[in-house]
Amino acid sequence: MGGERTAVLGVGQTRYSSNRGDVSIAGLVREAAYRALEDARLGWAEIDAVVIGKAPDFFEGVVMPELYLADALGCVGKPMLRVHTAGSVGGSTALVAASLVQSRVHRRVLTLGFEKQSESNATWALSLPQPFSVSINAGAGGYFSPIIRQYMARSGAPDLIGCMVAFKDRRHALANPFAHLHQADLTFEAVVESPMLWDPIRYSETCPSSDGACAMVLGDEAAGDASDSPVAWVHGTAMRSEANNFPGRDEVNPLASRECAADVFGQAGIVDPRAEIDVVEMYVPFSWYEPMWLESLGFAEVDHGWRMVEDGSTDIEGGDLPVNCSGGVLSSNPIGASGMIRFAEAALQVRGMAGDHQVDGVRRAFGHAYGGGAQYFAMWVVGDQKP
Amino acid sequence: MAESELLRADLVVEYPFTRSTGPVVGAFLTGLREGILLGIQRRDGTVLVPPTEYDPVTSEPLTEMVEVGQAGVVETWTWVDPPRPQSPWEVPHALAMIRLDGADTAMLHGVLVDSPTEMTTGMRVRAVWADQRVGHIADLDGFRPEAS
Repeated sequence: MGGERTAVLGVGQTRYSSNRGDVSIAGLVREAAYRALEDARLGWAEIDAVVIGKAPDFFEGVVMPELYLADALGCVGKPMLRVHTAGSVGGSTALVAASLVQSRVHRRVLTLGFEKQSESNATWALSLPQPFSVSINAGAGGYFSPIIRQYMARSGAPDLIGCMVAFKDRRHALANPFAHLHQADLTFEAVVESPMLWDPIRYSETCPSSDGACAMVLGDEAAGDASDSPVAWVHGTAMRSEANNFPGRDEVNPLASRECAADVFGQAGIVDPRAEIDVVEMYVPFSWYEPMWLESLGFAEVDHGWRMVEDGSTDIEGGDLPVNCSGGVLSSNPIGASGMIRFAEAALQVRGMAGDHQVDGVRRAFGHAYGGGAQYFAMWVVGDQKP
Repeated sequence: MAESELLRADLVVEYPFTRSTGPVVGAFLTGLREGILLGIQRRDGTVLVPPTEYDPVTSEPLTEMVEVGQAGVVETWTWVDPPRPQSPWEVPHALAMIRLDGADTAMLHGVLVDSPTEMTTGMRVRAVWADQRVGHIADLDGFRPEAS
């Protein structure tokens, strides 16, 4: 990876919850941004630019909200850039911010993703009826369930793998004070018996609707060297996109996903991701996407990802490749922030600052986001040492 | 193809939103319901109306709400004729930037006069309140020239 070495200097998150009615959108983003600055031990004046991302403006009904958020984010008179790549936006936003440091345009950049889902209803915002078309009114789950069915048929995965992922991520969330869902009494049986929403996706296998924001402060090599607390060094960054519908598209294992993974691991000099990555924060809004992405990203052989779920390899307790120690998207989903949370949690793990869901001895971590019809991808590898 | 053969369909996109206004804008709107106008004081003592949560120059959080006057000065204005369908006013009117007494910034609202000949920059206007108030900017019917 060329260019300026880039470090994550600070991370800030809000508590994720179904309704942050106590704050405006400005108050919400301010909370995360301020915590990231505190973590980085920097002031507003030391930030050169802000890169902000969120899912469609339609989700809150505020068009180009970044303009009014300039006051709250301390960037009046500074460059501000808005990124929009659907559900992967939190990851893409972090990568755009990183590119501004890598290219030496800026020395320190604040990057932030947010969503305030309580101000609308995102599931149905994605399913507006169109003239002369049959509306399936299915939401995101309806879009992804046939793809999951295809994966199950191809791989021969047992029916309850998705429930195992969901139960694991909800248990992981209990150790993350920022997670939206803290279901201490949840049992595996309760996950299995939860209502079938979009066969094979049960209620407990879906992500919640959350309010929340996540921010990071990224800096150049000198800023990383000057930090008093541990920083996470960026070892690789990659983005890829493809159309969501074309003849021969592999919807289960999209080419853009495979190429993005090959690029990011190549930059980081990683040949065997399962052996060389210590912890993974992966975008899994519906449980079955964990085994599907494990395969697509090269952590498992094709059609074998579900075996890693079944044998507990991805569990924080006893697994050799813990996945979503934070509880993941299945436990908190402020859409525009969800990708950035994956990237930020990966950074916290290599900094040794993930609190009760810290994995011992993490040297390299992987952050991942996807969006749209599993067609936009953003990934990074961070490490405790300089690349 | 004849015009009558073209397929047509209406697409009405309707979508509800809920707005969480937060402690500052929320207080301003609650003030409107109570028939008072609130601004917010910056560290240098200047007062912003309508109030903002964060200082527009320094980005400091602002918390000192202050009541301002119900009359003020028209800093600039434009004449609206005819009003668009979404306008809160059905008859021609002025839209004006009004700096209320005690405020250092101007607020956009309507001035309810019959003709642009009744408008001048620098004129004084006074708030006219709606009878039924709910905590919305339309709790102010508008402003009228202050009796001289």
